Parts: sequence; C-alpha cells; structure tokens
Amino acid sequence: MRKRLGTMVSDVLRSVFKKPATQLYPFERKPAPVAFRGKLIWEPEKCAGCMLCVKDCPANAIELIVLDKVNKRFVMRYHADRCIYCAQCVVSCRFKCLDLSDEEWELASTGKEPFTVYYGKEEDIAFLLEKMARDNAGENASCEE
Amino acid sequence: MNNWSVPPLIALFLFPGGLFLFLWGLFYEWVDRKLVARLQNRVGPRWYQPLADLVKLLAKEEIVPEGSDPTLFYLLPVLALACAMTSALYLPMAGFMPAYSFRGDLIVALYLLSMLTIGLGVAGANTPNRFSLIGATRTLTQLFSYEAPFLLALLGPAIVAGSWRISEINFYTQQQPLWIMVTQPIGFLVALVGLMGKLELPPFDAPEAETEIVAGALTEYSGRGYALFRLGKNVELVIALTLVATFYLGGLANPLQFLVKTLGLLVFLAVLQTLFARLRIDQTVGLWWRIGALLAIAQLLILFVINLV
Amino acid sequence: MTSERKFIVPIGPQHPALKEPGHFEFTVDGEIVTDASVRLGYVHRGIEKGAEERSYIQDLYLFERICGICSHVHATAFALGVERLAGVEAPLRAQAIRSLVAEMERIHSHMLWLGVAAHEGGFDTLFMYSWRDREIVMDLLEAFTGNRVNYSVNLLGGVKCDVNESLRDQILRGMDQLEKRIQHYLNVVTTDRTFLARTEGVGRMTREQADLFGAVGPTARASGVPRDVRVDAPYAYYSTVPVRLITDERGDLLARFVVRINELFEAIRVIREILDHLPEGELTARMPRRIPAGETISRVEAPRGELFYFVKSNGGEKPERVKVRTPSLCNWGSVMQVAVGHKLADMPMILAGIDPCFSCNDRMVQLKRKDSQQWMSWEDLRQYGIEYYKKVL
Ligand code: SF4
Ligand code: SF4
Repeated sequence: MRKRLGTMVSDVLRSVFKKPATQLYPFERKPAPVAFRGKLIWEPEKCAGCMLCVKDCPANAIELIVLDKVNKRFVMRYHADRCIYCAQCVVSCRFKCLDLSDEEWELASTGKEPFTVYYGKEEDIAFLLEKMARDNAGENASCEE
Repeated sequence: MNNWSVPPLIALFLFPGGLFLFLWGLFYEWVDRKLVARLQNRVGPRWYQPLADLVKLLAKEEIVPEGSDPTLFYLLPVLALACAMTSALYLPMAGFMPAYSFRGDLIVALYLLSMLTIGLGVAGANTPNRFSLIGATRTLTQLFSYEAPFLLALLGPAIVAGSWRISEINFYTQQQPLWIMVTQPIGFLVALVGLMGKLELPPFDAPEAETEIVAGALTEYSGRGYALFRLGKNVELVIALTLVATFYLGGLANPLQFLVKTLGLLVFLAVLQTLFARLRIDQTVGLWWRIGALLAIAQLLILFVINLV
Repeated sequence: MTSERKFIVPIGPQHPALKEPGHFEFTVDGEIVTDASVRLGYVHRGIEKGAEERSYIQDLYLFERICGICSHVHATAFALGVERLAGVEAPLRAQAIRSLVAEMERIHSHMLWLGVAAHEGGFDTLFMYSWRDREIVMDLLEAFTGNRVNYSVNLLGGVKCDVNESLRDQILRGMDQLEKRIQHYLNVVTTDRTFLARTEGVGRMTREQADLFGAVGPTARASGVPRDVRVDAPYAYYSTVPVRLITDERGDLLARFVVRINELFEAIRVIREILDHLPEGELTARMPRRIPAGETISRVEAPRGELFYFVKSNGGEKPERVKVRTPSLCNWGSVMQVAVGHKLADMPMILAGIDPCFSCNDRMVQLKRKDSQQWMSWEDLRQYGIEYYKKVL
C-alpha cells in the first residue's frame, strides 16, 4: 500500500466540468418515482365501511365518518400531518379503495387547515361540513347564554 | 510605473484601504466558497452571500459573555480589522503603487498581518469558554509555527531584490525575465503552504475545527464582533494573495495583472483546500518546524551560495 | 494546569461534532485526553412502553421509528419475532426482499457513516462525494419502497413491495455504479496520506478489549472478533445466500473504515445474488390478529451490529412486553476506554468510529443516592433538582 497525497484530485478537477449534484430545489425538481408514497387517496365507491384501515393506521391519521351505513355513505377525514406514509392502510383494505399518490407529495404548509382533507361524494362532504358548522354554532350559542 | 499617489483620506477610506478592501475581500470569499463548492460537486452560494452574511451579522445582537473583559471584547475585533487594513497601505493593491512606502515596510506589513491572528487568539483567551480557550491556544500555536517559515520564504525574493521595501521588490520582480516562482520553487512552495496556514484554510484549520471546538477562538462572538473578525479574515486573504503574487508571480504592474494573478492563486488554493483531511495541531506544528522551516532555510542557503559565486 | 484543577471539555448534548444528543466529558491535559465519560438517554421516548398500548401491526411502524437510518432491520427483527410466536413463516420471496432491502439499507448506512467520519476528520471533500454517491442507493430505495427513509417494507407475515423487471435492472445498474465508486473510496481511505495520519493507529481496540467490552458489529469485526448474526444464526434469506464474514486484525480507525467499506462490496454481492435467484411466489402469509401467548427472542444484524428483540405475548392483540437492545449501546464502553491517551482532536473521529446512533440510546436511568439503597422516586428527583439549582445559583 503506497501512501499518496491528494487522492481525490481527479474527482475534484472533474467536477468543474460536471453539473452540480445538488439542486436549487423549488426551481428544479426531480419527479417522484411511481412507487412513491405521497398523499393518501380514497375512492368512496368501493368502500364497504369495514374500518380496518382506521384500526390499523399506526398514526390515527384516518377517520371514517358514517353518514348512512346501509346506503354506504361515508366520508373520510384524512390528517396528512399525522400520516407517516407507511401504506399499512393500503394493504389492510381488502377492497382496494386506498392508494398513496406519487404526484401530490409536496404537502408542507404554513397553516394547519390544509392538512385535514375530506374525501367522499361531494354532497356527502357538503352535508357533513354543514352539520359540523351547525353543531359548532350550537356550541357557541350555548356558551353565550 | 509613474509616481501616482493618492490623497491620504482616500487612501484610508476608499482605496487601497477601506471600501475597496471590504468589497474585494467579500468578493474573494465568495470566489473561494463557490469554487470549493463546485469542486465538491455542489451548487455553492450566490454572489451576494458573503455580503448578506455580513449584513445579517451586523444586524444581530452582540452578547458579551459573563467573565470576559467587555472593553477588550469590543476592542479586539476593531483592532484586528484595523491592523489588517493598515497593512494594505504598503502593498501594491490592484497593481498601483503602494500608498505609503518606506525602507523595511515589508516587516511592518507582515507584523500588522500577524496582529490579526494575535487579536483572534487574545479574543479567544479573553472569554471563559473552554472551546475558545483551546481555540486560542491552537491559533497562537499555529501562529508561532507558520510565522517563521513564511517570513523566511518571503525573505528569498527580498534578498535577490536587495531591498526590504515592498514597492522596490515589486519593481524588481517585474524586471525579471523569469518569475521568482521558477527560480525559487522551494520558497514558493513554503510561501504557499504558509499562506494557507496563515489564513487557517483547510487542512490547517485545526484552530477552528468545528467538530472538536465549535468555532474555536470565536465561539463566543456574535453579531458585530464576529462580523468584523470575518471581514478581517477576508481582508487578510486579499492582502496575503497580493503579497505572494507580488513576490513570486512576477510582480503586479497593473490592475489586470493583479486580478489575474491573485485570482489564479486563489483558484489554486481552493483546489488545495479540497484535497486534504484536517491536520491535528501537533501535526501542523511538526510539519512546519520539521519540514517548512528547513526547506525555507535550505532555499536561503542556496541563494547565499549563488550570490557568493 | 495543576493536577487538581481539571480542564474538562464537554461535547454535547448540543455540539457541531455530533448532530444528535449525547453528552461526553473529556478531561484534558493540554491536548491529551486523560479521562472520558458519557451520559446518554436524552432521547428516551418510551417506545417500549408505547408498544404495549398498540396492536402488533401498529407496533411494527413504531419500532421502525426507533432509528431513521436502520429502520428496516428493526421492523424485520420485530416481525420475525412475532411470526415465530404465531407459528407463521413468511413466504420465501418475502424473506428474500427483506434481505435485499436490509443490504441496501446497510449500503446507505455505511456510506452515511463514511461521510460523517470523513467530516469529523476535516476531510469534507470525501464527505460530500460519499454522500453524493449515497444518493444512488437512496433513490433506488425510494423507487423500490416509496420512501427515502423509514421504508415500511415489512408486514407481519410478509412484505409490501415487490421487485419487477425494470426495478431489478435499475438496482443492478445502480450497484455497478456504486461498486466503482466504493472501490475509489477504499483507495482514498487506505492511501491518502493526510487521512491516514488521522486514522492509522488511532483508537486501537485489541481483540481482548473488544471481547471484554462486548463490542458488536463492524466495530468488533475491525478488532478481529468474528461476530455477525447473519453468519452465526442466519435469518430471512441469509441461509440461502450466505454472507462472508469480514474482519480485520488491526482494530484502529483505519481498520473500521476498511471493514465497513468491504462490507459494502459484500452487500453489493449479496444484492446481486438475491436478484439473480429471486424465488417466485406470494409476498404475504396469513397472519392472525391475536398472537398466541408465549415469548421469544429474535436477533438480526443491523448496520451497526447485533440488534436484539424480546417479545412476550399474552394471547391478545397487543404485546405484553417488548424489549429492544440496540447495537450502539453495546459499543459505548469501548469508546470511553479507548479514548484515554489520545489527542482531543481525535475524539470526534473516535466517537464516530463506532458509528454511534443516538436514537439507539433510548434508555431510562434509575438513580440511587450514594448513601442509600433506595431507588430515587420522581418526587425525590424533583426535590434534588430544586436543591441542586439553589446551590448553584
Ligand atoms: S399511510 Fe400509514 S399512517 Fe398514513 S393513513 Fe395509511 S396507515 Fe395511516
Ligand atoms: S379498509 Fe377499505 S373498505 Fe374498509 S373502511 Fe377502510 S377504505 Fe373502506
């Protein structure tokens, strides 16, 4: 083993002519691979309301709100800030309603609101939000009394 | 070369002292950082980063640690910066004649430069922080080890020029058909490495080795004091490059030569910085006294012999 | 400095040398270290207790988060233990994928270490380049599992992710690229004069010391201790694709570099072999939700050494007790012994030499007063703290 000085000189000089390995992130970005685990996506049509995903989620990131069990009217409230992107729910669901997106993954936000995502049929979500607003108003009203 | 001279106030505040040195120092810091980044295959900072750092630091609160002498704490950064800038007055900055010149100004300039390092060491010893203390010890140790070889290395050109006056040496080196770098290669090598030791650039950055002693002597400095010390180091970078370019790279006759020669030297230094692992302080000292000093003396001996013959 | 007044250099819990919380005190005489002590436990997160409150499935992800660097081995060790309790064997293909990801994880962990150790020695260029090349395997893991860290590949009874043809080619291509780079780094580490000055003969631990302090993993192997769970008690797919044991006799920092880099070659070889003979079949076996009562241990070789899990079930959906023994914890003793007599400047490298992982040190401490036999209670500690600060201020 011969000792030498400056063993990395070839790397160093070569990289003058190479593109830097780092990127200026928001201006340049690499696309995510297909398998990437981004935001959770839920398809309400297939859901049977078995609640397995809710039960297995290690981070309590999913809530399934049953509006009408017989007619399969469910709304999913997904907390992106709690989710650890482990895909356990995707595996647990036997009806393949859940998937993790490889397109939507830049989820950082300065406020809390964008982290709570509602999934479901539009009229169901509207119904639920209205109901919550009504309940909240009721609470506030009772406080004022 | 004409006998161009600048009014004293301008010499102090605009050129070659003052503003010019600040801007040039910041510019060279950026060149150095950018080059090292590119050599390590990174993007590196944008051109205004050193200036932004400086402005940010100046805007920050300066905290005087308990147990240190506040007068010294405030005074040392100013003193260090002032000394570094004063030495610029004796150098052919930007290829012009030095603003001031007298016999033996080489020695004065060198000692003014060392004042910066001493200021750093004292600043470290002034704060009761343990990292600062170790950093200060290392800074001063390193000062004593590189000073002698660096001085000896600069002596070589001075001896052949037969003068201790920087402007005369500059004039002499311009007249030579060959750069002194070629005629005194050993001296050049020692001067180059001494330069890196003086500027505490890797691999001689043991005094501020962040993985051991945080920021070394400057650990407790923040805000204005830290900004001034950093500025002082940038000024030192410019001055030291100018000095070596004047002595070994055929002198500085005009601004273009200044730009090309000092930048060229800086590029070379940047490459050297990326190539080595940090030396421990004992290894630095050993290297200097066992090899650096001997080489420099050998170079001098060769010169004497040639002169005699 | 007089001998009574000791000069102690504290490193941590916040210090640029270690980006993780751990506290070290080095007593120095000039630059020479004369005494060293360590304090751990800043990252006690109560994971073992938390595991008792969650179901087995949820625990899998909890244990994965003990460490972000070697998350996969934690989940593998836990899954293997639970599967043994349930009497379920994961399908062969799943076992192979477990080993595959474990080796890719080892590559990323060792490359990370190479960079960190180089940085501690002030060789930032090696640091930047090794981390750049580490991106190769990070990108592969991302393409494979969907996450860059905490891959969550494991399930109880199998794995989630599968390898298809294009991914296989991608991995093999990445490995070819990496192999070249790693060869280069081996050359740099073993021939660079300035770097050798910082590693050769520094922090030497003899084989007897390694045995005495119970060192594990590459740290022990660099002192010539032939100890590797993948070889001694093969799990997952390692009985089909055996791993060569890599040891070095020298025991100094250089030996640790050499051992880890050679393990990278070995990991690449294993990955290629697994990909060449990937068994066909299912990815998961059926797993009961309630695990039969009983207790078991499982051991795997994490990048830092032997990782040990004890799982006890009472027949319910939640474990009764899980005990984790992480590799970094076993190596601390050796560091503190070896440090004495070296220069202060060597400390960061000696510390980094065992590839310490602070999230491994999720430990609780119980204290006794000097004069009493009783454990201190919470109330006692509170009182002690109040008195202590009254005295200091
Ligand atoms: S990915 Fe994991 S954490 Fe996120 S919702 Fe699904 S199970 Fe919960
Ligand atoms: S596991 Fe699937 S089917 Fe069951 S509730 Fe969740 S989404 Fe619906």
